[in-house]
Amino acid sequence: MIGRRRIVLGIVAMVIVAAAVAFWRTRRLPAGAPGSTATSHRGGTLIATLRSEPPTFNRYSGNTYATALVNDLTQAPLVRINQLTQAVEPWLADRWTRSADGRQYTLHLREDVVFSDGHPFTADDVAFSFNAAYDAKTASVLGDALKVGEQPLSVSTTSPHEVVVTFPQMYGPGLRLLDNLPIYPKHRLAAALAAGTLATAWGTSTPPNEVAGLGPFVLTRYEPAVRLVFERNPHYWRVDAGGQPLPYLDRIAMEIVPDQNAELLRLQAGQIDLLQDDLRPEDYVPLKREADAGRVRLMDVGTGLDMHVLWFNLGPPASADTHRAWLQRAEFRRGLSHAVDRRVFARTVYLGAAEPSWGLVSPANTVWYSAGADRPDYDPDRARALFASIGLRDRNADGQLESESGVPVRFTVLIVKGVGASEKGAAFLRAALARLGVTLDVVALDLSSVVGRWTAGDYDAIYNFLLTDPDPAANLDLWLSSGSSHVWNPRQAQPATPWERDIDNVMARQAGTIDPAERRRLFEQVQRTIAEHLPAMSFAIPHVYVATSTRVASFTPALKRPQVLWNADEVSVIASGAR
Amino acid sequence: MVRFLARRLVSSLLMVVIVASAALLLATASPGDYVATAGGIGANQQRMARERVRLNLDRPPAVLYLSWLAGAVRLDFGTSLLYQRPVGALVAQRAANSTLLAAAALIIAALLGLPLGVFTGSRPTGLAPSIVRGASVLCLSVPPLIASILLLALAAMTGIFPTGGMTSLASPADGWSWWLRDLAWHVPVPAMAVGLPLAATLERVQSQALADALAEPCMTAALARGVSRRRLLWRHAWPLSAKPVTAVLGLIAGALLSGSFAVELVTAWPGLGRLTYDALGARDIYLAAACASAAAAFLAVGILGSDLLLAIVDPRVTIAPPARGPTAP
Repeated sequence: MIGRRRIVLGIVAMVIVAAAVAFWRTRRLPAGAPGSTATSHRGGTLIATLRSEPPTFNRYSGNTYATALVNDLTQAPLVRINQLTQAVEPWLADRWTRSADGRQYTLHLREDVVFSDGHPFTADDVAFSFNAAYDAKTASVLGDALKVGEQPLSVSTTSPHEVVVTFPQMYGPGLRLLDNLPIYPKHRLAAALAAGTLATAWGTSTPPNEVAGLGPFVLTRYEPAVRLVFERNPHYWRVDAGGQPLPYLDRIAMEIVPDQNAELLRLQAGQIDLLQDDLRPEDYVPLKREADAGRVRLMDVGTGLDMHVLWFNLGPPASADTHRAWLQRAEFRRGLSHAVDRRVFARTVYLGAAEPSWGLVSPANTVWYSAGADRPDYDPDRARALFASIGLRDRNADGQLESESGVPVRFTVLIVKGVGASEKGAAFLRAALARLGVTLDVVALDLSSVVGRWTAGDYDAIYNFLLTDPDPAANLDLWLSSGSSHVWNPRQAQPATPWERDIDNVMARQAGTIDPAERRRLFEQVQRTIAEHLPAMSFAIPHVYVATSTRVASFTPALKRPQVLWNADEVSVIASGAR
Repeated sequence: MVRFLARRLVSSLLMVVIVASAALLLATASPGDYVATAGGIGANQQRMARERVRLNLDRPPAVLYLSWLAGAVRLDFGTSLLYQRPVGALVAQRAANSTLLAAAALIIAALLGLPLGVFTGSRPTGLAPSIVRGASVLCLSVPPLIASILLLALAAMTGIFPTGGMTSLASPADGWSWWLRDLAWHVPVPAMAVGLPLAATLERVQSQALADALAEPCMTAALARGVSRRRLLWRHAWPLSAKPVTAVLGLIAGALLSGSFAVELVTAWPGLGRLTYDALGARDIYLAAACASAAAAFLAVGILGSDLLLAIVDPRVTIAPPARGPTAP
């Protein structure tokens, strides 16, 4: 009898707990969540996350994502790349003209623009910013990216609102280069530049009110390892189509959340509005459920622009390895490419949220992607034939291929530890190659060790994420054999192979012309050469998903990070409960 | 007593120096460095070389170490390569946050673990003690990382507690009392994640120690003299069982920092664990050395506290050095 009473009491207690949980959950549902409008509301706070805090607020000395994001919110360049169209659009410079030889641009600066501290913006600030970027003592992280043919741009001021920028040679991307350069206030930082201390200026111990800028927000609070708070810049110069001053938001708070699981939980709990990092494939299903229930908004922005790439060591130390000369052969790389079923790869590694890929340019890069380049698809028989053509056969019927000298066909791929896509992708490649008798050893190291091994040329292959600019001429470091990012054999004094010499020549012409059609034609040629020799290859490009709370009303997500905050001044939130 | 404390202080200081030196030398000797990590694959080699010169990372490890040691003697532990700030200030700020979390976790562990240990130790059989033992084993088996995620999920589901962080977004102008209440609202989830496994450890140790104490002949004699069971338990058996519990409590206090490492990451608690993770990830040798020395200092304080507590609970334990001279055959 007592036992039955206990059971009944237990059931009642469980029902009460379940009801309480259900009540809390429903209480958290935002009103009218599924029907959020795309109209822009003025005011409110957007709460986003950052995986790590910025080491500095100074974009001239910091190249982390966090520093770049702080810069995007608080500073402004002369021209901006529209992340949706990839077109260069006026920003602090409202118009410009190009000289007949295509090397000189005269930029007219917006008048009546002031920094967040009320100081007028003039051409002197532009000249100061270029000087800072090229200053030897500052050794700015922006300096190299602002050079063409390793030469700096020449900048002169002709009036308080006009600057002339001269390129050392004809440069295809033209003013696109200037999107990288935030215009910093000369009146605040000239003394630091003169003293040679600009690199350490605007560190995280700087009081936020000393960081002035031309961006839509100003940094008002920094709590180390906790959050950054940005308030609307009262002097911001942009207005919307209806003449309303921008930004719409009163405030953006960046909560520093190092763990991605915790970040997701916060979004699901309605405590944040926006995730900064790309969603992992395994996060899609739970978030889709939340989205279907109207608790979050999940958007598939499309196939990404960047991807994981497998490249081989084609540098001098590796080419001296006579026992494994096959590692240097294009036939081996082509065979490997045929060995991988990219559709299954996309389904397995990215749980279907990816598209098969082959080269180093994403189909999402509609301006530059060449559909005509060869795409060695899944064909195990062709792979075996290619391996056999360079003497790789199973000579002792043990299921393992051996080279002509009897050495088993085995090589190592380095990946960065803790990166899910790298680990899963490398495991898939290992299994795919094992079926053909090739042993792939996957070695996971921390980033620093992978960089060290790559720099020393001490590796067989690396499978890693490759981040590139959509415009190929902005990635000359990758395409040119002399480039430091020519990952398979960097910094060559002379091109090691005829096909690399060809690419060097074509890319030099591609970067040196301003005719868009000619540039496209030349880059198609480069993609065909790469597809033929396959020094590096990709297997799948993941889709880019953006997850926000339903409070976020108007935003236009892009494929590149920061997907939502790239145009932070136009993002708005629906007013709701206290934040 | 003073001599004992002075000796302990010197040995603790030595331990801190050794741990910090080892951390610095190991971080320097391991492949790659801060500049390579920051630059990533494809970074400009000339630029990286300039950076190494600017940051003195081009020096041989021995020179680097001696220069750091010379600074450390003057309490200058170097400038963080990652944050470009003096590491002393960075570590002090985060250590305070970690201390707060550790104290809260220790309180939870003691308040839950000790009474439950007495409960299970005094009742060898029964449903309730079995449930407590089972829960302890479960808490001990679940890694802190998983425990943190589970607790965060629970917090997200119920909304009772925030899902991480140390403070809310509201302005600091809201006043001290508001700030303290806000802090108290944020502490329970990470403190539970750190404290529950420790509570389980204490419960198990206390339970066993109490069961052993109750089995002593003196307890049977006390019962025979008519001492009530409650008085026997709390007045006689519990103090007798305190020695092993105190020893474990001290070690737990010292090791709290390493236990909170994963919890701080998951719950976004701005403590020393997160700072250490960032320092190691970025190969910030000076910050890694300072974090390691702070962890060693935590351990030293924990062990010292344990020794002192042990001396208090068991008068037979002496903290004076052992007497020299002929020993009995």
